[in-house]
Amino acid sequence: MIIVTGASRGLGRAVAERLIESGQKVLGLSRETEDLPFESMACNVSDYEAVKSVAQKLKQEKKELTGLVNAAGIASMNLAVTTPPSMTQKLIQTNLVGTIHCCQLFAPLLIRKKVGSIINFSTIAVALGLKGESIYAASKAGVEGFSRAFAREMADFNIRVNCVAPGPIKTDLLKGVSDEQINAIVSQQIVPKVFQPADVCDLCEFLLSPKSSSLSGQILNIGGV
Amino acid sequence: MNLDESKSIVRDSISEITDGEVEPTDEMNLIGKEAGLDSMKLVELCLTLEDKAGDLGFEFDWTSEAAMSRSRSLFRTVTSLAEEFLAQADKEK
Repeated sequence: MIIVTGASRGLGRAVAERLIESGQKVLGLSRETEDLPFESMACNVSDYEAVKSVAQKLKQEKKELTGLVNAAGIASMNLAVTTPPSMTQKLIQTNLVGTIHCCQLFAPLLIRKKVGSIINFSTIAVALGLKGESIYAASKAGVEGFSRAFAREMADFNIRVNCVAPGPIKTDLLKGVSDEQINAIVSQQIVPKVFQPADVCDLCEFLLSPKSSSLSGQILNIGGV
Repeated sequence: MNLDESKSIVRDSISEITDGEVEPTDEMNLIGKEAGLDSMKLVELCLTLEDKAGDLGFEFDWTSEAAMSRSRSLFRTVTSLAEEFLAQADKEK
């Protein structure tokens, strides 16, 4: 079974659906799970006890976990000086702390099998230092730092940890971002095009498969920087 | 279960995960410079104790805030870990 967080929409939803199409068993986690057409559980990843309760349930049910995709996240495009403290807190709590919660609480299920792949989501905004995304980028830079160190901690257990860092991808997260802003970001990528959710799904499938067994602790920027 | 039995469970678990290569004593340090186990084995020890607690009918939670803050760390020695294991068993009675 592969856990996908943020599975109700955006890239999390796309990745969950792709994995199911490929024949994988997926458990989607999301704050709202109504109407999701696959197995899911309601879980706010920023709430440690909520994540712990999912992990305990999976252990009790003797579910065999092989992968974890931490796609739950929020974005806020704002200058740092105009971002309210509540939004700063929310970004860090969901994007960084939520990812840490899922890694530390679901990893023991992978450790028991001594095999597995974890994918954490970052953003190309970290590598590019994008204007208007400083706090969002800070939360994701934390994810990257955590992932690199966590990859070393997990290596002894044959568990790989990598980060996928997309540029602008056509999802709900981009609502409210003008074409002009998107083009300005895309022009800084080595491959200057707007990628699709399918491109992210391709990379996730690869990272979850044994074909990527040589990769751990890597930050994979979609579009290249 | 009493403390001696709890210590015995912890010592046996250490012997199991190290294939008998480590002969644990009650005073053996589990973390720090003098640690008798590496970090990988410490995680395996926690998972083994989790399983043994399940067999005994309780949940051993080695990640809880309460367990970690009760003293500097439940992982200081075999005895401190056994004390925590026993405390959690008693709590669920």
